[in-house]
This record gives sequence, C-alpha cells and structure tokens, in this order.
Amino acid sequence: MNFVTLAIKNLLRRRGRTILTILGVAIAIAVLFSLLSFNSGYEKQLSGELNSMGIHMLAVPKGCPYEAASLIIHGGVIPKYMSNSDAEEIKKVDGVEIASPMLLHQFYKDGRPHIVYGVVMADMLRLKPYWKVEGRLFSDTEDSVIVIGRNLAEEEMAKEEKLSVGDVLPFGPYKIPFTVVGILERTGTQEDEFHFLPLPVAQRIFEKPDQITAVGIRVGNVSRISEVASRLEQIPDVQVVTMTQVMGTIMNLVGSARTLIISVIIVAIIISAVGIINTLLMSVNERTREFGMMKAIGASGLDIGKLVLIETLFITVMGGVIGLLLSTLGSSLIEGFVKGIIPYSPGGKLMTPEPGLVGLCLLFSIIIGFVCGIYPAIKSSRLTPMEAIRSNLE
Amino acid sequence: MKKEIISANGLTKVYHRGSEKIFALKDASFEIAEGEYVAIVGPSGSGKTTLLNLLGCLDTPTRGSLRLNGAETSGLQEKDLVKLRRENIGFVFQQFFLLPTLTVRENIALPLLFSKKNDCKDKVDEILEQVGLEARAEHLPSQLSGGEMQRVAIGRALVNEPKIILADEPTGNLDSATARKIYELFQYLNDRGLTMIVVTHNVELAKTAHKVIHLRDGEIAQEASSHSLSRKTRR
Repeated sequence: MNFVTLAIKNLLRRRGRTILTILGVAIAIAVLFSLLSFNSGYEKQLSGELNSMGIHMLAVPKGCPYEAASLIIHGGVIPKYMSNSDAEEIKKVDGVEIASPMLLHQFYKDGRPHIVYGVVMADMLRLKPYWKVEGRLFSDTEDSVIVIGRNLAEEEMAKEEKLSVGDVLPFGPYKIPFTVVGILERTGTQEDEFHFLPLPVAQRIFEKPDQITAVGIRVGNVSRISEVASRLEQIPDVQVVTMTQVMGTIMNLVGSARTLIISVIIVAIIISAVGIINTLLMSVNERTREFGMMKAIGASGLDIGKLVLIETLFITVMGGVIGLLLSTLGSSLIEGFVKGIIPYSPGGKLMTPEPGLVGLCLLFSIIIGFVCGIYPAIKSSRLTPMEAIRSNLE
Repeated sequence: MKKEIISANGLTKVYHRGSEKIFALKDASFEIAEGEYVAIVGPSGSGKTTLLNLLGCLDTPTRGSLRLNGAETSGLQEKDLVKLRRENIGFVFQQFFLLPTLTVRENIALPLLFSKKNDCKDKVDEILEQVGLEARAEHLPSQLSGGEMQRVAIGRALVNEPKIILADEPTGNLDSATARKIYELFQYLNDRGLTMIVVTHNVELAKTAHKVIHLRDGEIAQEASSHSLSRKTRR
C-alpha cells in the first residue's frame, strides 16, 4: 500500500461526492479545452483561409472597407459596386501581378443563404493553382455553365442524392438551366459552399451589367504591398484592404464573443474550485478523528497533508482527463454552438485537439488541485492528535 | 532490576475554560519499568485519558517532565515527537478507528506506510497470526465483529514493534466474553516483554495488571499492586 492507494480508497468511501466533484472539474476543463482548441483552430483556419485566397489585398468600393472585405471572404454581399473599368485600372497599376474581378450575389434556398461568385476563371486559376476539379472548369466565353463546391454538391443542392457532373440545374432568378461542368474537390474553406459562374454570365443573370463587387489582387513583390496599396487608393471609388487588416478586423469582430466565452469559463472554474474546496473541507472535518488516529500511530503532519493533497490531485486530474475526453467527443456539438454565436467563422473543422493544449489543460487541472488542496491539507496537517481524537467524543 | 521505560515527574495538565483553570492532571509522578503491565483506573473525569495522552506524546504537559525510553520529551519538536511515537508506542483506542475501505491486512499495515517500512508482508502475517486473524486478513472492517475489530486495532499497534502499548478503554465497546479474550491477548503480549499501559473502568482487566494507578480529581490517589486492588474490590 502507498499514499496514492490510500487516497483512492479514502475517496471511494464517499463515492457520490467524489464523482460529483470530479464531474464539476471535468465540465470546467472541458469548457476551457474547447475554448482553447477553438481559439487556436479559429486563428489557424482563418489564416489558412485568407492564404488560400491567393491574394494579398482586396480592392472594394469605398465605404466601410474592412467589413466589406470580411464579408466578401465569408461570402456575404455588400450593396455597393465598382465597374469593370475600375478592374482594368487596377490591372494597370505598377506592382500588381494579378487582379481578379468578381461579382458576388446571394440568394436563399430552403431558408439558407447561397453565395454565387462570378469570376474570371483564368485569373482564379492563377490565384488558386491548387484547385482540383471533378469534371472541368469553365472558360470565360461559355454560357449556362456552373462549377460548385463539394459540400454544396453533396448536401445542399440535392437532399436525397448528391449532384453530379453533367446534371442540369435551374438557376438564377429566372431558373435558367445551367449545366454543372465541374465540382471542386474539397478545400476545407468557404469555397466548398460556393457556386462559381463566368463573370459576364453572373452580371447578366443577376442584372448587374458592368458591375463588380471586388477585385482580388496579388502583387509581384510582397515587400511592396503598402506601396501598391497607396497607388491603388488613388483610383476614385476604390479602397484597398490588405489580408492582414482583414484578419485583424475579423479577430476584432469575434473578440467580444470570445470575451463572453472566457467570462463563462472563469465563472465555471471558480464555481468548480469552490466546490472542490468545500468538498475537501467537509471531508477533513468529518475525518478529524481519523487523522488523529493516524498521527497517534505514527503519521506526521506532513503525511496527513500529503494524503489530502493527493486526494485533491486525484480528483482534479481525473476531472481533467474526463473533461478532455468529453470535449473531444463533443467537439462538433460545441463547435456548432460557438459558430452560431460568433459573427464570422472560417470553413473547415475549427476544434482540433493539439497535444500542447492537452498538456496545458492537464497542467491547469493539477494547478487547480494544488490551489484547492493546499488549505485543507494545511488545516488537516496542523490538527494536534489530541484535539483530533477528542473531537465529537465529549 | 528491570530498566525504567517511563518516568513521570510532576506531570500537570491545565485546560482553560474562559477564565476558569481546570486541572485535568496534578503533579503526577511515577515510574514504569520495561515489561510492566500497568492499569490506570479512576472515575470519569479523573484524568485517566489525559495521562495516557501525555504518556503517548499526543499532548504536552503544562508542567512537569516525562522521560520515555531514556529520552526527555519536554521541549521536543513535533517531528521528534512523531519519531518517538513511531519507535516506542503503539496505540489502541476504544473506538478502534479502523479505515472502512481497507482490509484487515491493510489496516494493520497502515503504520508501516507512515514509518516508510512498506515491504513487510512477513511482519503483517506474523501479527495476523498473533492476533488470531489469519483467516480474516482480506475482510473489511464491516465484515468483522467488535472483538475482531479491536484485535485488528491491537495488530495495528503492534506492527511497528513498539516497546509500549497504550490502550484507552480497549474493552469499553465489547461484551464481557469478548473483553476477556482481549485481556488474554494483552497478557500474552506482556508475557512476550511488551510494556502495557491500559486505561480502564474494567476491574477484571485491572486485576491482570502488575500495578494499578488510581486517579481521582486529576491526582494520583493510590499506586498499588493489582493484588491490593483485588482485596479492596472484595471488601
């Protein structure tokens, strides 16, 4: 027998109370781990999504540029437009390597928003050379053709059976038949949800002749981004937002939601810690005579304190492990909930358990154990054998 | 002549209740030789348990001195008192104080955990045999009778091989037949050289002792051989 065995056997004497305390710690650690995983996954996915756009900056109509840029990346629509000629002007600016004009349109199907991108495919392929497609992409001169994202093909457009290459789809406000010529292979970004049309076709069917929503820009030399941006801003009606600024804007947008979640976690952890301290103090008080007996048969104050501390650490580490399991098992549920309350979320899986975070949460549960166990441990170790044995006897 | 193992000189213990001073023990002086069997008797509140706790270094005297196995205990730090207790004293309580989730074997072995002598399976087996609980080694306290539980507590007191056993009303919770078996066990342990100091109300148990210390109102009223106690009882 050793101190750990003795501590576990002691905890088993109050099974119900021990299980509830472990559960309290588990919930706090699960919430903490979920938030940290989400936070880390969110920044990684967002950064990946912005990088996957293959552009260094976006030219958008003058107004509220950062929010406009964020909405465009997310697949939202802004009620302002530039013209084809603005795109031509942008292409001519020194330092611009690629300028890809795009028109965004949104429509609703089954109560869910669908995003349509009108694009110049030759430019898109230069920006996204990694794109792979089942079927083929379209050329800019084609009409009544459409390429769709993988998720859309599998889930949204056909609830019963998935959409295939070659299928004809009534599309647009006038339900014109479009042939699905290609389905993008999954990218893990918002593109998996989008429809892509040739730009002139999109302008025609959505009745936005000569209008574009944004121009995606890649510069030849990244060290010249700000210089190129200032040149572009000299074009009337055009504002430029770099991807770094977009990332900052989005992180600000989600900041308030994160603050709320962090507050909830702090409250959960405090409640859990108070619960543990309360449980331990009750247990110490109930076992006063037992500790007195232990001292009489040779235990030192340090031995008693060590025993109480091991019991606390067992509770918190068990709670930590169970919390991590709960969080991992329920990650999709938690992810869905958090995605619903934050203003922008990138595509793909946001919660990915990382070994570093697992270690951090386990370390945190050990720290909670020490913090909560130290007072009861000191209290029990300082009991004199006499007062302990005599308690409740007289 | 036998070596003196306990020497108490003017032991006094005062408790305070508000401004009132309560003398739980007054100027108790006596000596106990190695291998002696001593019973401490007296009415409730006479200071028996206080004396036992002082002898076991569970409490410190307000005045007076105590030598235990040659070591002066007054002024010792807690860690030194712990060491002194571990090496010299085995405690037996009226309430047994067994840990309910530990088996008989584990309860007996508990002091070894604190004295860092974990690998002593043979020692525990030997104790189980001495207290007659070999067949109950893997049972939990809830599966034992009162007498068996007290035997476990005695086994626990013996496992560190102490020189002195201090027992506080060891038969107080037992019926007379079971109590008699406990006296026999105490007698057997004393015959093997252990110094036994037993606080008791039980005249039968006191009769088995070599020496009886009578306490009244915190003072030693009489220190006599058990033979004289027998005569007094008969009168």
